[in-house]
Amino acid sequence: MAQWGRRLNKNPTSVAAVALQAKTRPPVGHAKGGVHPSRTFIIVTAVVVVAVLALPWMHPGYRLLSFAVTTCLTAIVLYGMAVPFGQAGIMSLGYAGLMGFGAYTAAILSRDLGMNMWQAMPFSALVAALFAGLFGLPSLRISGHHFAIVTWVMCELLRITLVNGGKFTGAATGLDLPPIGKAFGLDMDKLANAYLLVAAFMLLCMLATYLIANSRFGRTLRSIRENEQLARAIGVNTDLLKLTAFMASGVFAGIAGDLQAYNFRHISPDLYGGAVSMYFALMVMLGGPRTLFGPLTGALIVTFLPEVMRIDPIDSRIAYGVALIAVIMLLPGGIIAVTERGYRWLAEAVRGARKGVSSPGADSSTA
Amino acid sequence: MATVLEISGMRKRFGGVVALAGVDLTIKSEEIIGIIGPNGSGKTTLFNSVCGVYTPDGGQVRWNGVEITGRPAHEIGRMGIARTFQQAMSFPSLSVRENVQIAMEHGCRRGDWEARRWSSAEELLRFVGLEEFADESANAMPFGNLRRLGIAVALGGRPSQLLLDEPAAGLNESESFALVQLFRAIHQLGVGVCLIDHHVQMMAELCDHLIVLHFGNKIADGPTEAVVRDEKVIEVYLGAES
Repeated sequence: MAQWGRRLNKNPTSVAAVALQAKTRPPVGHAKGGVHPSRTFIIVTAVVVVAVLALPWMHPGYRLLSFAVTTCLTAIVLYGMAVPFGQAGIMSLGYAGLMGFGAYTAAILSRDLGMNMWQAMPFSALVAALFAGLFGLPSLRISGHHFAIVTWVMCELLRITLVNGGKFTGAATGLDLPPIGKAFGLDMDKLANAYLLVAAFMLLCMLATYLIANSRFGRTLRSIRENEQLARAIGVNTDLLKLTAFMASGVFAGIAGDLQAYNFRHISPDLYGGAVSMYFALMVMLGGPRTLFGPLTGALIVTFLPEVMRIDPIDSRIAYGVALIAVIMLLPGGIIAVTERGYRWLAEAVRGARKGVSSPGADSSTA
Repeated sequence: MATVLEISGMRKRFGGVVALAGVDLTIKSEEIIGIIGPNGSGKTTLFNSVCGVYTPDGGQVRWNGVEITGRPAHEIGRMGIARTFQQAMSFPSLSVRENVQIAMEHGCRRGDWEARRWSSAEELLRFVGLEEFADESANAMPFGNLRRLGIAVALGGRPSQLLLDEPAAGLNESESFALVQLFRAIHQLGVGVCLIDHHVQMMAELCDHLIVLHFGNKIADGPTEAVVRDEKVIEVYLGAES
């Protein structure tokens, strides 16, 4: 004890001195949260947006364009998934089911109340959001793969319910929908126009996810992902926030379901089973749930790769399984995250060679 | 504003193990209070029962006269009771700045923390001496700094009372010494400081008031000078033969 006393008397310490100074210093400007987009990031984003919207003018052909529609519809769901999975770190395998709630809500409202795609959209979003909250409830008690399995089961239960729903859900045959008709002066019966509509929604969802990830809400979700117990201790209502994140992602899935129902004009339970949910999970992990372009990239690869490589659909499942394991082991964070790291490394190496000093490179991650 | 945390008759058992056997104590923010006791004496269980991690089996917790027993952890955090954890917790893959920012965006919701002393994350990081690490990710920092970050995160929520669970565990003599200075500085700002630690010398040096727990019972409670001379305490710490 004597030693402690001596040291205390002799040493007017640095920390205490700093502490007292801190009180008198003028406040530093409040640090804005989130990532400040670099120039490279803005350029890449502009290129992606232009490429997505310019596709119909590149004479893509009917088959490619219809794949592109599917890719965009899928990407909308994946951008929703990126909120609870990428930010809060909770993996759910129920998203095909949530998309199904959106699609069936649209089809039933069209059949029984004569609503069109636009009128049904808020209802689809609402129903999917409510069920997303319901699907998310088990996450308050269980986590990790246990939770993933529970949500997968819920998704399968939905499929079974739809198959046995009789006339109300159209049973195994499913339901038909009328065409979209005209929107923004464009005839949506033309595939190129329908693609533009879906692509525009996809880009909006991309923007929404970016804004969420860089908001206070996104930051709070990350605190849950990083350390739930600590988050609670500093006053974060983790239960409420998890459910909010799920419901937000449900809105994306519901909108995607509504758009899908009207683009395909026929929906059936097979589109919304557990297997489809697994594909969604694969895509989002492959691309990277925490990056802005990850979900889109994942959707692109999984939709187009079997087509490009001409793999049999059954064989492709084996390929996906192998791909998923490879991504988890070799590319943690997904393809886009690894590409980014590579780019940053390269940019720094080039700059270092030029100036002899290194400086930080591009940063396009949303978290 | 002085605050009082009153704990009365706190009981908690895990299966056949009695972790707390009816502990009464009062934590006033005017004093720096230390809770000491051998391993398994119920110190951490006491904090966890106060902070809503565990639901106590019996007893009451009152915060400035309001009963808060068994409320969920996040509500306790919002009332101005902040705590740190034995394992030096942080949000590991986020930057040090973001760690503190998250805490500052949550925490105590009452407006009576008259001076919001730190208007930015940088300022708070300067206070705890971590400003140069602001852009590093938390898990890249050495252990001693991680302990400081845990304290900064707790402070970020503008608490009126800090409960620190073994803040100096795993630190060397000079690091613990620097922490003692930090706790004094925090206390000077009017934040109540109550800490658990094994380091009896450090505790005797820092604390105005010591509480000693032994097998879930309080065996001493009083001014530091009196407690360190207490025969019962010496027996528990040094063994009966001394």
